[in-house]
Amino acid sequence: MAILSAEHSDQLYWLGRYSERVYTTIKLFAQQFDDMLDLKTEEYETFCEKQDIPNIYASKEDFVRRYCFDEADPNSIFSNLIRAYDNAVVLREEIGSETLCYIQLAVYDMNKAKNSEAPILHLQKVMDNIVAFWGMVDDSIDSECVRSLIKFGKRLERIDLYVRMRIDRREIKREMKRLNLRIGRTGLKYNTTKLAHLNYLVEVTPMDYELILQEIESLLDQEEKLAAGF
Amino acid sequence: MRKLRFQYHMQLNFESPAREHHFTLRCMPVQDERQSIVKEQIAIYPKHYSSTQVDSFGNRCMYGTTKEEHTCFAVDVKGEAVVDHTRFIEAPSHKVGLYRYQTRLTEPGPYLNTFHECMSVMLEQMNSPLKKAQLMMEFLYYSYRYTPGVTGVNTTAEEACRLQAGVCQDYAHMMLSLCRKEKIPCRYVAGMMLGEGATHAWIEVYADGRWIPLDPTHNRAVDDTYIKISAGRDAQDCTINQGVFMGGGKQQQEINVIVEEI
Amino acid sequence: MNTEELCKYSDSVNELLARYGVKFGIYKNNTFKEQLFPFDMIPRVIHQKEFDYLERGLKQRVTALNAFIKDIYGDKKIIKDGVVPEEFVYSGSGYLAQCEGVMPPKGIYSHIAGIDLVQGKDGSWYVLEDNLRIPSGASYPMIARDLCRKGLPSAFEKYHIEDNRNYAKMLRRTMDNVNTGGHTVILSPGRYNAAYFEHSYLAEQTGAHLVTGNELVVENDWLYFIDYSGKKERVGAVYRRISDEYLDPMNFNEESVIGIPHIYDIYRKGNVALLNAPGNGVADDKGIYYFVPRMVTYYLGEEPILQNAPTYLPYYEADMQYVLEHFDSLVLKDVAEAGGYGVVFGSKMTKEEKEQFIALLKKEPRRFIAQEVIDFRDIDIYEDGKIVPRKADLRAFVLMADEPLVWKSGLTRFSRNPDSFIVNSSQGGGFKDTWVMAE
Repeated sequence: MAILSAEHSDQLYWLGRYSERVYTTIKLFAQQFDDMLDLKTEEYETFCEKQDIPNIYASKEDFVRRYCFDEADPNSIFSNLIRAYDNAVVLREEIGSETLCYIQLAVYDMNKAKNSEAPILHLQKVMDNIVAFWGMVDDSIDSECVRSLIKFGKRLERIDLYVRMRIDRREIKREMKRLNLRIGRTGLKYNTTKLAHLNYLVEVTPMDYELILQEIESLLDQEEKLAAGF
Repeated sequence: MRKLRFQYHMQLNFESPAREHHFTLRCMPVQDERQSIVKEQIAIYPKHYSSTQVDSFGNRCMYGTTKEEHTCFAVDVKGEAVVDHTRFIEAPSHKVGLYRYQTRLTEPGPYLNTFHECMSVMLEQMNSPLKKAQLMMEFLYYSYRYTPGVTGVNTTAEEACRLQAGVCQDYAHMMLSLCRKEKIPCRYVAGMMLGEGATHAWIEVYADGRWIPLDPTHNRAVDDTYIKISAGRDAQDCTINQGVFMGGGKQQQEINVIVEEI
Repeated sequence: MNTEELCKYSDSVNELLARYGVKFGIYKNNTFKEQLFPFDMIPRVIHQKEFDYLERGLKQRVTALNAFIKDIYGDKKIIKDGVVPEEFVYSGSGYLAQCEGVMPPKGIYSHIAGIDLVQGKDGSWYVLEDNLRIPSGASYPMIARDLCRKGLPSAFEKYHIEDNRNYAKMLRRTMDNVNTGGHTVILSPGRYNAAYFEHSYLAEQTGAHLVTGNELVVENDWLYFIDYSGKKERVGAVYRRISDEYLDPMNFNEESVIGIPHIYDIYRKGNVALLNAPGNGVADDKGIYYFVPRMVTYYLGEEPILQNAPTYLPYYEADMQYVLEHFDSLVLKDVAEAGGYGVVFGSKMTKEEKEQFIALLKKEPRRFIAQEVIDFRDIDIYEDGKIVPRKADLRAFVLMADEPLVWKSGLTRFSRNPDSFIVNSSQGGGFKDTWVMAE
């Protein structure tokens, strides 16, 4: 019988979020990198602004290096991957060694990418491992609530990133639909009014991006969550 | 034999609210060959869940948890004790060995060693552990001055010896340290005395198959005016109120004991 | 079997071990680091007949050790009869007075024992150390075996090698045997513990829940796991991988923040099983080790099957004399230290060091034991494309379930340094699988 502590449920949710953050930011970064090849301007400034991270980078080259691989930069992709790993490594018996190993492999590949001559090419391997990890989550985790917690975290993070990056409304609506289906299966207490409000917000024109971001982060009422745990 | 009525009150005041407070209380007098307890009433404040048990040293404990926030934690124990010091607590010699070895609180250092050294010639001439203990008690009594406020609950025997001052707990620890240097099994006793005030501490030495209580603070044998609460290797085993909690800030403890004859 | 054939797969198996995060943590300059545990492909092979002998001896030894712990915290007959001097019991750091008079479920104290053995050049086995607190290491050969079977199917097809992946089942049986009703959990100090991989792997393999102290709570004399919806689930067995000291701040170290307040109080009442029992340290103390063969005779009325390495107790006058006369040929161990620390070789000391040590020895004879340096049988390892001999030991695991069970494998640790006798992983050693093979 599956029993899950408040701590583990939290870690599953954050594992979902950070794995998604790594995957999608690599994707967004690759796009950005490609755009920058043709431009002389400091295009990465807008990228940082949209993602709401401080622009601490000295040059285009510095941005590529540090945003991807600097473990000391809390906003780097590597730092986010380490956070995913930190959550995954304490969940071995919930998710299984066969699933956990893909996060481990992503870390190894991230290190390889960092030391590689063609780092962007190598980041593809990191993405491959994340995708394999998600595949294993679907394929090998029996407990619906364990699975749903990871996937819910992943959906929520994706909406957050897509909204930040002003991605096409259709994409955001699709992710919102998936989130609606997932949230009820997690066993988490959430704010139903906020969920309804979010569903409304993604329909209206023009889209109020800031308000969506605000609402999405408060979907899981922290106090309620704590009350449920203790 | 005497019949004594006792009231024990302990109150812990917190500067700021404490919560998740786990406690273990050792403030209920023991039931043994020398004393029996009747009409006992125990009250703990605030709301809590608790349970009782007897620990490895034979002491009665109440332990539990108070979850709610509180700025005061209190316990009251009332009852009557029938004490008879003409009776003895007996124990087989192979089971008292654990009381023969020094603990962190009784471990001697240069001061206690020197103190012990002064008596060595006399001690060598004695063959009864009780006689030795009595001699050391007398020496201790005349060499040190009862001085409250100099030592604390964590003061070791060696530290007290260096300060040449202390309270009943320190006298007891110094006695334990000296007896253990003589390889005499001995234990710390926490209890109450006839009158009004705080708790008291003395020791028991093991001699001829029996535990003999001695009060080094007063340099005398223990009689029917003493009520024993608990015993252990040192004061730590007899901690009256042990607790871990969140918050609380500064704490201040009040203890009030009344023992009267009926 | 051809060792070259085995070694061909060395890199790929080590790669797989890395994939599964087979690591142990160490602290260097106060920072936590995870290190891969180097695996050597050449197995230690023990033939079935020889292992049968070890198995009988191990069962006997652990049964006697369990009887000793029960006796010490209970009747103390062995002290009364003068077989073990009282001083060795009460002044050792492993004895815990808080455990006096406490009877664990089914009277089992040592559920999981790790007995360290070495083999001499003449082939005879010696017990070097008993580990009855929280011995670790079983997970490494378990996972390595799984990967080796993939890499070397032919070897496993050709020979009859006992499958050691049943350790999880044995462990589960041991935990279920004493469970007082409810869930089974593995209590870990957290991921920054040296053996965290093992904690999480054993949880996965046995189907137990891996928990930290703050996920468990004692209420109304029972132990509960609180799930994320706030529901309380009773816990009946705790395989705890935190030391006695930190287990319960109300009964042991008050400063502990990783323990569970009052867990020992309800254990005393028989409401939960703790594996291993607190207080076991009284029996695996290096000073007590000397007396283990005597315990076998005393409690079981049998001749000890396994022998200790020849050991001297400077506590005894005659032994002290021997130690002083043969100082250069002995290894001296501080009884309070573990993990390969506090071990010195008489022959490797300078004149000054020796004088200092002997002064200390005379002052605190109870603190040390001396042993003959055993002429180890070296064991082959594969290093940088070459096969070289190294020192190695064998940690055998003995589980006390409804009957004593010996794991038909073990953790073989070797020293990577050719001049060193110290095989501990914390000091850079590697490991091998141990094959128990039919002739």
